Amino acid sequence: MAYNKPIPEPDPLNKVFWEGAKAGKLMLPRCTSCNRVHWYPRIICPHCHAREIEWIEGSGVGYIHTFAVQHRAFGGWAEEVPFVTAYIDLQEGDRMFTVLRGVDPTKPESIQIGAKVKVEFEQANDDVAIPFWRVV
Amino acid sequence: MPGELSRAAAIVGAAEANEIGYPETPKTALQLHIEAIKNVSEQTGIPISKIDGIFSAGWSSQIAEHLGLHPKYIDTTSVGGCSFEMHVHHALAAIHAGIIDIALVTHGENGWSQRATGGRGTGRARGMDPWDPGSLFSNPYGVSGAPSNYSHAMTRHNHRWGSTPEDFAHIAVVTRQWAMLNPRAIMFSKETNPGGGPITVEDVNNARLVSWPLTLLHCCLVTDHGGAVLIAKPEIAKSLKTKPVWIAGAGENMSHSNMLEMEDFTATSAAASSAAAYKMAGMGPEDMEMAMLYDSFTVTAGITAEMLGLAPRGEGFRLWKDGHAAPGGKFPINTNGGGLSFNHSGMYGMQLLVEAYRQLSGTAEDGGYSGLPGKQTKARSCVVNGTGGSLSTTGTLVLVAD
Repeated sequence: MAYNKPIPEPDPLNKVFWEGAKAGKLMLPRCTSCNRVHWYPRIICPHCHAREIEWIEGSGVGYIHTFAVQHRAFGGWAEEVPFVTAYIDLQEGDRMFTVLRGVDPTKPESIQIGAKVKVEFEQANDDVAIPFWRVV
Repeated sequence: MPGELSRAAAIVGAAEANEIGYPETPKTALQLHIEAIKNVSEQTGIPISKIDGIFSAGWSSQIAEHLGLHPKYIDTTSVGGCSFEMHVHHALAAIHAGIIDIALVTHGENGWSQRATGGRGTGRARGMDPWDPGSLFSNPYGVSGAPSNYSHAMTRHNHRWGSTPEDFAHIAVVTRQWAMLNPRAIMFSKETNPGGGPITVEDVNNARLVSWPLTLLHCCLVTDHGGAVLIAKPEIAKSLKTKPVWIAGAGENMSHSNMLEMEDFTATSAAASSAAAYKMAGMGPEDMEMAMLYDSFTVTAGITAEMLGLAPRGEGFRLWKDGHAAPGGKFPINTNGGGLSFNHSGMYGMQLLVEAYRQLSGTAEDGGYSGLPGKQTKARSCVVNGTGGSLSTTGTLVLVAD
């Protein structure tokens, strides 16, 4: 079945990220001036305001910072409720948002903040693979 | 010692639109604005033609044109539900600077009617917003508006501070008790709404899950509402038939726009905006006798109480759980019934202002322009805090009656 949920449209600012995703890599922007990773991608470092940003391949490892269980959603996601959304602290620093996999949305008390997660990618169309995180 | 701007202006009137809540005939936002503006003009005796500064969340030129005004100061700060507290801050500065004498802060929003006319909530996922680059990395994941975001803050608060959703349920229960004293509140009684009247912690726990751990009763209403306040320099404020409520302190701040950038999910910029407001006022949380705290969700109000220094970190909910915030309690909070049980049009911060003015000014006894009968507190000081976006932006005011 075709992917029926919102698909991000890559733009020049984050082209490298989406190219990496297609190849199963989690590419992250890092400032070459202060060496800190930031998320989401920008043309200026939000920490030190340098404009020299490089892309590095991340480990694809993170930890659950907080989560919620969505019982109401729209479009393609409406068919998936309940599902778990989570903010993920990246091993490299800063945070991503995701729909969490490998958890039981009917038992939120079984989901642990701080649990280790790994990234995986789902091919949404020819151009875009969307990252999701799974509890390991 | 109070800062230079402290009491440089006063709120001299505050009123609501005539028909609020779930109107039978859909209303436009502009109608709601104009009704409230006309009411506050009549309440204060200030002719609309004397307004020389206009402050609204985005629509100041349209409103001024509608009223035939050529204002000298035009502000459209629109950063979510706290915009109106910021407008008061900005108006205070503009009056102090001598640019204007009388400021109108106004709001109208048809959260309910928009749905009725299909303008919103039609089931489409939000598009990628070029003004919110982070949305490219959050919208694909099925979140749909405020409840689906704020729930993450509740989970984190529970984890970090050992609180529970039940602790926050007390905020909904107590706020409902206030709504039951306000006939204009949606949830005043079973007659005004099938879901109205008293609720228990169990009711909150057992309500339909919207975004775990938030059930429906942890979430605010979506209604139509309008409100307007007039702010004037001291010479004018002292000459009117209404009583002035002095702007003793004001502050604003923000921590992020997209929740992706929220560093601490259990803290907001209200710590900074209230610090500025208290400093200007030369007062502190211990001097406050009541509070009006934006309650988009129970967790919003609970965390805000902590940020304003009204309770220790992690324990804001105790003000409600221990009964202090309730009718008859020692520290009333959200005396109109809040966004949870009174009205919430989408950007609720205007109603915080209207209610704070009503309680502090004596107009609560007149039963007239605000439409809400009865004064519920003896408070002479009130801290008002609006929260906008996804726990993103805050505006804090310290208001004091003579």
